[in-house]
Amino acid sequence: MSVNSATSDDDTPDNSDESGGPDEVEARVGLRYTLKQVRQDTTARIGTYIVGFMTFVAIFAAFDYYVLDYAIAEAVLYNPETDPQNVRRLLPPVGMENQFGQGVLEHPLGTDHRGRDLLSRTIYGTRIAMTVGFLATAIGLGGGTVIGAVSGYYGGWIDDVLQRVTETIYAIPFLVLVIAFMTAFGRDLTFAMVGVGITAIPVFNRLIRSRVVSIREEDYVEAARAAGVKDRNIIFRHIIPNSFAPVLVQATLQVGVSILIVAGLSFLGFGAQPPTPSWGQMLSASRGYMLPAPTFSIFPGIAILITVIGFNILGDGLQDALDPRINN
Amino acid sequence: MSLLRYTLRRFAQAIPVLIGIVTITFFLANQIPGDPVEIMLGPTPAQEQVEAIRAQYGLDRPIHVRYFTYLSGVATGDLGLSIYYDRPVLEMILLRLPVTLLLMLSAFAFAIVTAIPLGVISAKRRNEPADHVSRIVSLIGVSTPSFWIGLVLIIVFAFYLGWFPARGLVLPWADPADVRGAATRIGVLRQTAHHLFLPMIGLGTLQMAQITRIERSSMVDSLQGEYVKLARAYGVPESTIVRKHAFQVAQLPVITIIGLGLSTALGGAVLTETVFEIQGMGRLIITAINNQDYQLIMGTTLVFGFVYVIGVIVTDITYSYLDPRVTYGDE
Repeated sequence: MSVNSATSDDDTPDNSDESGGPDEVEARVGLRYTLKQVRQDTTARIGTYIVGFMTFVAIFAAFDYYVLDYAIAEAVLYNPETDPQNVRRLLPPVGMENQFGQGVLEHPLGTDHRGRDLLSRTIYGTRIAMTVGFLATAIGLGGGTVIGAVSGYYGGWIDDVLQRVTETIYAIPFLVLVIAFMTAFGRDLTFAMVGVGITAIPVFNRLIRSRVVSIREEDYVEAARAAGVKDRNIIFRHIIPNSFAPVLVQATLQVGVSILIVAGLSFLGFGAQPPTPSWGQMLSASRGYMLPAPTFSIFPGIAILITVIGFNILGDGLQDALDPRINN
Repeated sequence: MSLLRYTLRRFAQAIPVLIGIVTITFFLANQIPGDPVEIMLGPTPAQEQVEAIRAQYGLDRPIHVRYFTYLSGVATGDLGLSIYYDRPVLEMILLRLPVTLLLMLSAFAFAIVTAIPLGVISAKRRNEPADHVSRIVSLIGVSTPSFWIGLVLIIVFAFYLGWFPARGLVLPWADPADVRGAATRIGVLRQTAHHLFLPMIGLGTLQMAQITRIERSSMVDSLQGEYVKLARAYGVPESTIVRKHAFQVAQLPVITIIGLGLSTALGGAVLTETVFEIQGMGRLIITAINNQDYQLIMGTTLVFGFVYVIGVIVTDITYSYLDPRVTYGDE
């Protein structure tokens, strides 16, 4: 999300400027420090709970799918029409009623247009959303880090070329870019993930580059260079670890953004293809039944909303927790 | 440097980016699997027919020749022929672009009109109930997929309450004779507003939420500024301080966010047009892709990029016009 990238970009210099001597810099980076701050910040904690819960659901679904009973998962999620006698199409949630009948306990959230249980499909959708969210962010983070670090550290024509290329990628509205990318290479979920990852590269690139440019002239980097440490080691051992906080914030927010974009893509028919239970694809299928069975359109959307809110709250909380201006 | 020269310079700077967009689009479109000629003529066409079509659309020439032909075509406003519609691509785009722009402008108008008061109230009553409500609303706004908001709006306001139509759009410049339920120009405009209302909210909610967040934090900073303290010390009424002193300065980051939000809004337009079945640029690009219409895919992608770049330039210029400190890029 551009808003967040802009704000965290602004905050980055403060992190190093105000943290004083090298001891304090040491104390302000790393995983242990982050965890300590997160525990103390209410917003970050709530975000952690939501994200933790969704991750748990996703892992449960994956475990169920791969380990427990593939046959049942296959039947519930993909091919309920093998037994047409028992198919209960478009049932409402328990306690409600529509023209197709009354909600039954067996399907707490009702069923979809092919009689499949909405609750199971929504739960299984978590697995896809989380996988896609994390992997797309990892691609954006990896690509953006390498490009931003090289660009910021070497400067000159390398910087110019790399920055012009990422600016151009950024100049095409990202949903349109991913659609064009997927049209060229393939319409399934893998390419959705890679495509969304590529559109995230400019965001991380800018973030890392601005950090690298500001850290490049610091004494400890000078010292490392004077001691004969290789450029690559300076970048990856010294500069990047020092950019941990803003990158973590941006990456957390980016997971939410990626989930939103991939849901949108699946809604348009790019990404997860039927009968895969993904939220965007479920919403797309529900469009034909909004009048007789409106609840079909509601639950997958709520699942997206809760997951993305979780990442946004966690990102905002991390930003507050790791921002030295607020702690001081 | 004058504002005019700054404007011209910004447009000149955009040229390499625009060429970059053309290049990326061209090479992506070239990767598309499948043969467009086969789609046109069916699976077993006559050999001469295939060659004739290939020659007509220039598909028989090597890729670098086609690239430069296309680039010079773009420079002169020739985006090629749409195989699917059998019309010039530019003609199709000019037909659809106003629809999308209308949708975008109304969405941003909605976003700005609601977000600025929300953000200002939130900042003024920091950590009070009004602030919490506005922060929760904007948090939900940035976390909800726009197409789902559209679906929910259709279910509630079109199907249950019947207040607004569920699909389509009436253009304000449409002929009253062609519009059902409109006898005069006023009637057409009323129909336009009626059709536009739900898509506008669907597309504008994300922007509204983002602008509210920035407006709030920017106003919070601005209200802590030295000039505000000074004004308070002089006994200037608080409402005047908020309205005149703090507000104006706080709007600059908001303009930046509006510029950046154009990218999400253009992507969102594709989704919103799908949900509400509006025939704009978004539907055009999806139709182009589903029919492997290369020239149309390239043309629509390009125009999406161009609209965004121009939008960013316009916000930059607005920014420099409003901010007295910006010296139009003199280093």
